[in-house]
Amino acid sequence: MTEKFYYDNKIVRNFAIATIAWGIIGMTVGLLIAMQLFKPALNMGSQYTTFGRIRPLHTNAVIFAFVGNAIFMGVYYSLQRLLKARMFSDVLSKIHFWGWQLIIISAVITLPLGLTSSHEYAELEWPIDIAITLIWVVFGVNMFGTIIKRREKHMYVAIWFYIATFVTVAVLHIVNSFELPVSAFKSYYLYAGVQDALVQWWYGHNAVAFFLTTPYLGMMYYFLPKMAQRPIYSYKLSILHFWSLIFIYIWAGPHHLLYTSLPGWAQSLGVAFSVMLIAPSWGGMINGLLTLRGAWDKVREDATLKFMVVGITAYGMATFEGPMLALKQINAIAHYTDWIVAHVHVGALGWNGFLTFGILYWLIPRIYRTSLYSKKLASFHFWIGTLGIIFYAVPLYFAGFTQGLMWKEFTEEGMLRYPNFLETVLQILPMYVLRAIGGGLYLIGVIVMTYNLIKTVGTGKLLANEPAEAPALPENYQPQGSDKKLHRMLERKPMVFLVLSLVVILIGGMVEMMPTFTIKSNIPTISSVKPYTPLELQGRDLYIKEGCVSCHSQMIRPFRSETERYGEYSKAGEFVYDHPHLWGSKRTGPDLQREGGKYGNAWHFNHMMDPQTMSPGSIMPPYEWLVTQSLDTSTTRSKINAMRTLGVPYEAGYENRANRDLDAQARAIADDLQKNNIKVKSDKEIIALIAYLQRLGTDIKAK
Amino acid sequence: MSDILIWALLFVSVSILVVSVLVLKVIKIYIQQSLHPSRLATAEEKEQYRLEQEGLQMEKPEKSSIWTKLLGLKPLSEEKELVMEHEFDGIAELDNPTPAWFMVLFYGTIFFAIAYMVNYHVIGWGKSQEQEYAAELQQAEDEHIAYLQKPGAGTANKINESNVAQSTDKAVLQAGGALFKTACSPCHGEHAEGAVGPNLTDDYWLHGGKVKEIFKTIKYGVPEKGMIAWEKQLKPKQISDIASYILSLKGSNPAGAKAPQGKKEE
Repeated sequence: MTEKFYYDNKIVRNFAIATIAWGIIGMTVGLLIAMQLFKPALNMGSQYTTFGRIRPLHTNAVIFAFVGNAIFMGVYYSLQRLLKARMFSDVLSKIHFWGWQLIIISAVITLPLGLTSSHEYAELEWPIDIAITLIWVVFGVNMFGTIIKRREKHMYVAIWFYIATFVTVAVLHIVNSFELPVSAFKSYYLYAGVQDALVQWWYGHNAVAFFLTTPYLGMMYYFLPKMAQRPIYSYKLSILHFWSLIFIYIWAGPHHLLYTSLPGWAQSLGVAFSVMLIAPSWGGMINGLLTLRGAWDKVREDATLKFMVVGITAYGMATFEGPMLALKQINAIAHYTDWIVAHVHVGALGWNGFLTFGILYWLIPRIYRTSLYSKKLASFHFWIGTLGIIFYAVPLYFAGFTQGLMWKEFTEEGMLRYPNFLETVLQILPMYVLRAIGGGLYLIGVIVMTYNLIKTVGTGKLLANEPAEAPALPENYQPQGSDKKLHRMLERKPMVFLVLSLVVILIGGMVEMMPTFTIKSNIPTISSVKPYTPLELQGRDLYIKEGCVSCHSQMIRPFRSETERYGEYSKAGEFVYDHPHLWGSKRTGPDLQREGGKYGNAWHFNHMMDPQTMSPGSIMPPYEWLVTQSLDTSTTRSKINAMRTLGVPYEAGYENRANRDLDAQARAIADDLQKNNIKVKSDKEIIALIAYLQRLGTDIKAK
Repeated sequence: MSDILIWALLFVSVSILVVSVLVLKVIKIYIQQSLHPSRLATAEEKEQYRLEQEGLQMEKPEKSSIWTKLLGLKPLSEEKELVMEHEFDGIAELDNPTPAWFMVLFYGTIFFAIAYMVNYHVIGWGKSQEQEYAAELQQAEDEHIAYLQKPGAGTANKINESNVAQSTDKAVLQAGGALFKTACSPCHGEHAEGAVGPNLTDDYWLHGGKVKEIFKTIKYGVPEKGMIAWEKQLKPKQISDIASYILSLKGSNPAGAKAPQGKKEE
């Protein structure tokens, strides 16, 4: 008997609006920080709008607000139709929507305030982490509720990807968020140094895999055949590339840590699995592109399909480049440079951006029962967006390649050709200008799309509840024909499917993480490495707060060019008290791991007050507020206690004397500055930051 | 390093080759058309041509092109047989086999991955990063020795704190002045009048005012006082140029000079 029911289009519409709004905000912030790189004065003299603090705002806004909302839009639209059922609960849908927006708003508030845990792409502090977990569970319950009460016996390939997304993101987020709270908005990661870096990049890379890739593949599998009105090219390929993708991806994280002090075997596993990822990733691409076989004439006409094609092609390019960049020899040049920034933006602007735009252009007119306001404007958006990606990526590839080679070049006499790091930065500034132009073009396209969609909405009316009908599932199902096959059987069992994908994704993470955590020989201890003094600890937290890690690494790789420039290469044992690790992923400025004792206190003071006087042409913004703001020493006690809980050997009762030691060390630095005609009180933030910088790398410095 | 450049060059050359072939084709057509322009066909002729072609098509059995063969694609006309009985919201799936080239790629990368692990962690042919580093240093050392043995090379590099001599040569002072401006003026002031660092134009010196002592101070620095060691950034000749330039400034009495520090020297 056929049952009548209604699809919930209102929630889809809401997520669509959120996608567009956050997209514009996130990209505008991106444009601002891109311009700050060649015009530091654009930090506007405020601590709240300086690169270090708003760069995470850009990444979080684009990944979790723009792409996140687009995922929910795509899932809520396609899931209902693929399962022939309304979403499980309207209330849960609403909680999910508003909860997610509140989380984003809390990010927009806390990140500029400097409340950050410093893990890249997971900067939000612990209370927000808990909120994310709760909302993610709401999403999961709503999704599985819908799956359970479906009217379609089998789960289509898009849903496999949604399930894998849900379960893996949950695991990633929880494992990466083990923090010990110190106060309402400050926590320390449980892991330190090498382990912390491994966890973070296991998370970071799989955020790319399971937030930016798998849900979008799922969406592609629904929207592309709908748009082109063509069948999916190969069911077998769907099965093969789905399972191999989710199994292999989870291992690839360590390729972010090549030539670091992560144990060699873990690095090699990262490389090996990254190379094996090419085929599974391309499986998605060819299944998409071949679905368009016989429909290429439509692509010529239809801007929506054009967006999809360029998006899928960008995915193919990025997933080919990824394994190449994971090869040690190429990584040695590309890592820490803009090459990586270009690589991720081909994925973000091309794959995520263009697929989102394609889906929006297709979906909005449908739920509003009208047709697109202007095909011409959509076509304009397509071309200016494509141009934007090219203008963004090509100069950055060039910049990354140039800088990577400049860092490594030696003269005939055996000295670095460019010993002054700044020289290599000044060389690529014109490329930064071009990149910002590319970003600007892309943003213009999005604004044009917004106008076009608003006009479209104006000509139609939202069909909030779309009527549909389908027969209920028969109680006793007798599989016929191909439904007797093994995978079809699995497609009837959502819970088994969930557990199976969980097992598949857990294997890689376990194999890489467990030995690094439990086998001592992976992290050889160094007896001269001592815990930070209270002042240095406070200084370190300021370093984290200001987001210095966005531009400065603390990981010297074992290359002649790096040990010549910075000093002895980094050893695993040096980081045992680093909760969290601050290895960094991009060098906009030089590495700081051996900074301690290299320059005088006065040099650091002047350099932070006005970088241009000490390093003419520097693109570091001034940090004037550090001189006026007093250091909050009321937190010292709880910080020492927290660190002791995490295994840092501060002696019993030290928390009571910590501030006395802090004062003494601060006074010594202030006195030294005084001798150099710099008058600053010893209780200012800058003193703590100088203390931290002067400590870096000194524990193992050869005397 | 150079391997990558070779690969990159190879890639670029192949791309240029492909583009050249295309350009050649275009030029050929262009020349042909300008020498013997083909008459624009009338509608009737076009129709006739189309019918002829259709006739030919009917006679020939459908043949797949090299391209579709390479990709392992079945002709579109056979698609109906491949459609699976299932449909999801109107989306059908074809039961195409996974393309052969795809499986080759897949198994190839798996083979590569296994070989990679065996190479680095079982038989140990591949060097660990520490071994690579040691080899890199050794190579640099060898190259340096070879360089020093070249006739005429390295005289400028043999300057050190025990054999450096003050120069009053105009070119030397000019070179030293230029270097001073970029490297030293942030701390010692535009005219060496002293800022964070001491005044370098008076008779008072913290670490000695002889050319050899100045050379040494610049080369190794005085880290505890904030003076940077420059030996990695400046060549010995450059350091000696700066030392000579500094000495030439003695008694220049710049404006805003910092009060004397250290011991008086003649």
